[in-house]
Amino acid sequence: MGEILRATGDALILLLSGQPELWDIIGISFSVSLRAILISAPLAILAAFFLAVGRFPGRRVLISTFNSLMAVPAVVVGLTVYLLLSRSGPMGDLELLFTQSAMIIGQIVLAFPLLVAMCHAALQAAERDAWETAITLGAHPWQAMFTVMYEVRFALLAAVIAGFARIIAEVGCSMMVGGNILGVTRNIPTAIALETSKGEFVQGIALGIVLLFLALFLNFALSFMQGKGELS
Amino acid sequence: MHMAGRPLLDIARFELPAASCTVLSGRNGAGKTTLLKIAAGLLRPDALRIRSDGAILDWAAGRSVLRTHSIYMHQHAYMFDRDVSANVAYGLRRAGVSASECAKAVRTALEWAGLDHLAARNARHLSGGERQRLALARARVLSPEVLLLDEPTTNMDEEATGQSLFLIRRMVSEGMGIVVASHDRRIVGQLADRHLNLADGALHEVDGGARPDADAPAYASGGEVL
Repeated sequence: MGEILRATGDALILLLSGQPELWDIIGISFSVSLRAILISAPLAILAAFFLAVGRFPGRRVLISTFNSLMAVPAVVVGLTVYLLLSRSGPMGDLELLFTQSAMIIGQIVLAFPLLVAMCHAALQAAERDAWETAITLGAHPWQAMFTVMYEVRFALLAAVIAGFARIIAEVGCSMMVGGNILGVTRNIPTAIALETSKGEFVQGIALGIVLLFLALFLNFALSFMQGKGELS
Repeated sequence: MHMAGRPLLDIARFELPAASCTVLSGRNGAGKTTLLKIAAGLLRPDALRIRSDGAILDWAAGRSVLRTHSIYMHQHAYMFDRDVSANVAYGLRRAGVSASECAKAVRTALEWAGLDHLAARNARHLSGGERQRLALARARVLSPEVLLLDEPTTNMDEEATGQSLFLIRRMVSEGMGIVVASHDRRIVGQLADRHLNLADGALHEVDGGARPDADAPAYASGGEVL
């Protein structure tokens, strides 16, 4: 116990000292996950909108599919992307395996079903009257679409925060397709896994503290957004 | 017009004349909202012919005509989650009107509706009567030819109803054609230039608040909106 407490103290000192290697890892985490979210969120919101307003055959099946895909474990997503990107896989020629791009792809696949499911729920809750009012006041359908999205903006933001929280903390996918290469594909969760397995508790605890505070902050932001969404 | 497999509306003609107020009465579920939304271009009927400026159009071509010339107001008008000014400006901004032109038009509209002191408040925080006046101003600022009001005075107190009726009367005198779906006797008595009753999918002219005229228009599977 004493050793762990000492290690925790050293971890805090390590964090505050601004050691480049440590902050490199943190930087990679944010860089990769932010890019993944920036790519998947707009696509997911659009997809969710068409699922909410469209009337096409198979719509219900598609909605259920996205809801179910949320339950796929991160490591299975990692395995699938790995197989696709590996030399013997269909996208092997692109040589994306063990790069940040592979991590981004994996995290997009992880986040997308969650984003679509939550955004769809948000847009379904948007009243039809909002759409009709926008149209009758002269808005083109695409303008009305953005208006409806704006009306449920807090719920949509909550979805994006939830998606981001999922991908920044997962280890199963990033480990497999990234390869945990220092300075390139080692992010916070994969670094924690590595350092702990080496017995290097100080680094592990330092990164764990960062991730913990990040997770708490994201959850707080999520509750805040959902609360604001209810206030009307 | 069929809805949920049941024939709902089977109307030969539905005239929307300018500078007058037509009251549309009928039991709940008779189809008043459906009729108004079709006239607004928001709902797609089975068969419809629209006569506009002498030309006869089907739904595909006529829908934009309907949407451009008419505005529909829900029973509880939807308030966008932004302030009162932004709500009034909504239609103008979507049409590309400049911010300065908009601001002028909005100011005038808010004074007209007696809401200028609430310009910066979030529209969701307004009372029922204030919301309705906001919705009326929001529609009027776009100068539609036809305004379709769906049960505007339900759940409103005397004072709020009076204020709304006053504004509606002003709009009629300004040249707007207004159709009000309502049971409210005050509306029939004080506003109506014409009274139509919707029953069993057809429109009957009602004179002077008495029972519906027995000479109903001929049934047809299509309808005309003028």
